[in-house]
Amino acid sequence: MKLRQFFGTTALTAALAASAPAMAWSLKEAAAPYAGTEIDVVFLLRPGYEAIEAMLPEFEEETGITVNIIKHPYENALGEQVRDFVAGGDLDIALIDLVWIGNFAENEWIVSVDEIMEKYPDIIDPDLDMDDFFPLVLNAFGGWNGTIYGLPFDNYSGLLFYNRCMLEEAGFDGPPETWTDLKDVYGPALTGDGKYAFALQSKRNETQSADSFARVIWPFGGSFLDADFRSNLMSEESQAGLKFRQDLMQYMPDGIVAYDHAETVNAFAQGDVAMITEWSAFYSTVVSPDTSRVADCVEIAPEPVGPAGRKPALGGFSLAVASQAGEAEQAAAWLFIQWATSKANAGEYLERGGVPARQSAYADPALAETYKFIPALVESWQDGVPEFRPRFAEWPEITEIVQEWGTKMMLGEVTTEEGAQEIGERMEAVLEDAGYYSGDKPLAQ
Amino acid sequence: MAAPRTRPLYGQAILLIAIMLLCVFPFYWMVTTSLKTHVVALEAPPVWFFEPTLANYREALFEDGVFRSLLNSLIIAICTTALALVLGVPAAFALARFEFRGKKDLWFWFITNRMISPIVLALPFFLIARNLDLLDKHITLILIYLTFNLPIVIWIVTDQFRGVPYDLDEAARLEGASQWTIMARICLPLAMPGVAVSAIFAFIFSWNELMFGLVLTRTNAKTAPAMAVSFMEGYNLPYGKIMATSTLIVIPVLIFALLASKQLVRGLTMGAVK
Amino acid sequence: MRGRVSRGTILAFIGPAVVGLAAVGIAPLLYALWTSLHFFNLTKLRRVEFIGLENYGTVLTDPVFWQALGRTMTLLGIALPLQIGLGLGIALILHQPGLTLLKTLARLSLVLPMATTYAVVGLLGQVMFNQKFGVVNQLMGGADINWIGDPTNAFVMIVFWDVWQWTPFVALVLLAGLTMVPGEIEEAARLETSNWWKVLRHVQLPFLVPGLVAVLILRTADTLKLFDMVFTLTRGGPGSATEFISLMIQRVGFRAFDQGLASAQAIILLIITIVLAQIYIRVFYREV
Repeated sequence: MKLRQFFGTTALTAALAASAPAMAWSLKEAAAPYAGTEIDVVFLLRPGYEAIEAMLPEFEEETGITVNIIKHPYENALGEQVRDFVAGGDLDIALIDLVWIGNFAENEWIVSVDEIMEKYPDIIDPDLDMDDFFPLVLNAFGGWNGTIYGLPFDNYSGLLFYNRCMLEEAGFDGPPETWTDLKDVYGPALTGDGKYAFALQSKRNETQSADSFARVIWPFGGSFLDADFRSNLMSEESQAGLKFRQDLMQYMPDGIVAYDHAETVNAFAQGDVAMITEWSAFYSTVVSPDTSRVADCVEIAPEPVGPAGRKPALGGFSLAVASQAGEAEQAAAWLFIQWATSKANAGEYLERGGVPARQSAYADPALAETYKFIPALVESWQDGVPEFRPRFAEWPEITEIVQEWGTKMMLGEVTTEEGAQEIGERMEAVLEDAGYYSGDKPLAQ
Repeated sequence: MAAPRTRPLYGQAILLIAIMLLCVFPFYWMVTTSLKTHVVALEAPPVWFFEPTLANYREALFEDGVFRSLLNSLIIAICTTALALVLGVPAAFALARFEFRGKKDLWFWFITNRMISPIVLALPFFLIARNLDLLDKHITLILIYLTFNLPIVIWIVTDQFRGVPYDLDEAARLEGASQWTIMARICLPLAMPGVAVSAIFAFIFSWNELMFGLVLTRTNAKTAPAMAVSFMEGYNLPYGKIMATSTLIVIPVLIFALLASKQLVRGLTMGAVK
Repeated sequence: MRGRVSRGTILAFIGPAVVGLAAVGIAPLLYALWTSLHFFNLTKLRRVEFIGLENYGTVLTDPVFWQALGRTMTLLGIALPLQIGLGLGIALILHQPGLTLLKTLARLSLVLPMATTYAVVGLLGQVMFNQKFGVVNQLMGGADINWIGDPTNAFVMIVFWDVWQWTPFVALVLLAGLTMVPGEIEEAARLETSNWWKVLRHVQLPFLVPGLVAVLILRTADTLKLFDMVFTLTRGGPGSATEFISLMIQRVGFRAFDQGLASAQAIILLIITIVLAQIYIRVFYREV
């Protein structure tokens, strides 16, 4: 029975491929030659991954491909993958945080989408529609130096989550429009009796660089690097942002430097903190009565505006085919990536707690009623800073520096100037080593 | 005579109970937290009485692969302990019984390995294992764990062999026994307590090791401590599940340590008190 | 008098252990030495180049390295006296006559902390010392102490767990020393004076010295190695408050991927360890 079915499909595929490539494409048929292939991928322990995991049986049944999911916490995911790729290990798919893309691409650990299309024309879904991805997201999460490698999979934008009930009680009928208002007007009014106006996750790991440090320098007009790739952290604007963060800390819980996402979201969900700026992915956590005591009060707005405009945090992951994978694995990997990020599955992905990067998925205005974060998210993705954190290969080294001195600043062990000076010098040393200043390397971030 | 003693005895008893409570309380808290649901575990202030659930264990053991990592840890710890004994016991015998040049330096070199931070070896060993295609294999950890197990075995067993009266060897040698026979038939049985003690130590140290497990394994050979660490995603901290995994790792080794506590204490003093 | 045995026999006995330990212990060290003389970044393996002693220069002039080393020594300087003081106290109590059952139980419970997986101790610390739902603050009368997020408190917390885990070890070693004091000598001393301190100082102390030396050696080595518990508890934070030497090297080697620099750091740490071990062992611990 099985054999006959198998024969049937291969014969059919062969016939299709030979006679009429334009005829209707189906996943089942495209995958037939790769049935039985096993592919390995690293997943995080986050909602978007759980969503796809729940949908996975459907894919495996349809294609006969087995997807082995290896789960790691975010903080280990880069190290695990780098070690695997360096060792020529068995990962067939790379999970790429936007700040890792330069690293992965320059090491040629990943295969570009164009190359896949050329090598395996039969497995490309005609409905792939690359233009349907938010261009900013596609380029930032999946692209490096003008080439697209990965398809955006687990997608985030920074949003302002606020507790409407607490704000109303303090006499506000809406969220702060600017960062300055958040600090000067909302801060004092909402802090007291063990409650705090705001919490900014600042733990010494990627959270410090991405969610805390970068979040305050950009809206104030600062940046990590200037046009010549020298440190821009001593500039008036960057310093204004960093000083703002120091001031804002009086309206945050003690020990904010030990807060990771979990602690921050929990403080908000327990009603101890009135506002947080967090990734869209936490929406399901804060509106679910199982994990939140303030589910009915949660509202979402775009991140506040700074003197330099609205510069919300941008983060997220793409999936790309690994170059170390064998041919069948590469094809199977692509089929999986294509399926997981497809237009057709975007709706279900969203329903199960994921955040797709497909413009078409948000076209229905009614969705905004169920998922309050959609308008703010779509707005943030219209235009943002792809180099919110530089995406070049040196980021893993630089982020360690930013994490160390960023937390020291917040603890008051160094001033914002001293800290910025240290980060600047160490960062430039890394970039110097990498050959950016001698002209060996193009200034891409 | 009895009257003046009662008082200090009360004080003593209280102190002893305090010591016991301090030692045991963290384990009590670990086990109770592991029986809490996510919401209960995060209640502030913490609750002491609640409806226990085994869901964390079910999830950890059957969904997250903790069972397999426990098995890996067990295989690795047993094999490396056995290997350390096979290599270490004859070496200890030689150090205790034979005279040769550089003996002191050799002994010192063996013992120094016990002092080396695993991070010193983890980096280069990873690169070597990568070149030899040995990553994520049990044998890799079995071998690298020798760096701390072999010194323990040699340290303790050398001491023990030295305690065996030399006359016995002499008598046997006059009867024409080889050194192997002397070691295996005469000295080893008498040194068995020391061998057992070093085996217990080697097993416990191997079971508890984290850094090599973290760096040198991925999935197939992932050890239990490396597994416990992998739940620490910054997104939500499933404390119940983390404590369930911790309990699963720690309880076997605690039971083992309690059963072997006599030997364990003797071992501490063996390497230490001479 | 002692074994005049052939070289072959000696080799047969000791050779396998030497070869085994050399393969897993020395080969990686040589490789680390080679790495430390190169620019060697895991994410830039195409650019491996010989740079002489540059990595060593970087390490020796980097205040971050010395601060981490200083922090490690501070930890040792605080925790070790506490462990010895408390351990001695416990040993003296256990050494007194009476309350046999209770003492047996106490001895058994002392074994537990030592055998506990170090990584689990850190995880346990996270749960128990959490500011909001941690049991430690609750037991301190509903205190609101921020343990994990405050540099000083985080350090105190690390000291606490180190003391919790290793005081039993010290206590049991010293207890063994106390039991080696010949009964009649101790009896005689007690008849002469009721001052326990005098008995300790003049009669018992000589028997405790070897144990104390062993404790000193092992605790120094283990503090330089300390990684697991801190890694799972604070990861070196907040800021760098608990970033001890092994954690720092791990960060450079496996998070920033600069294996050349990390190898240089590791080798310097190794030299420090060997020098300390040499001093300790040659000075105090005359064996073989």
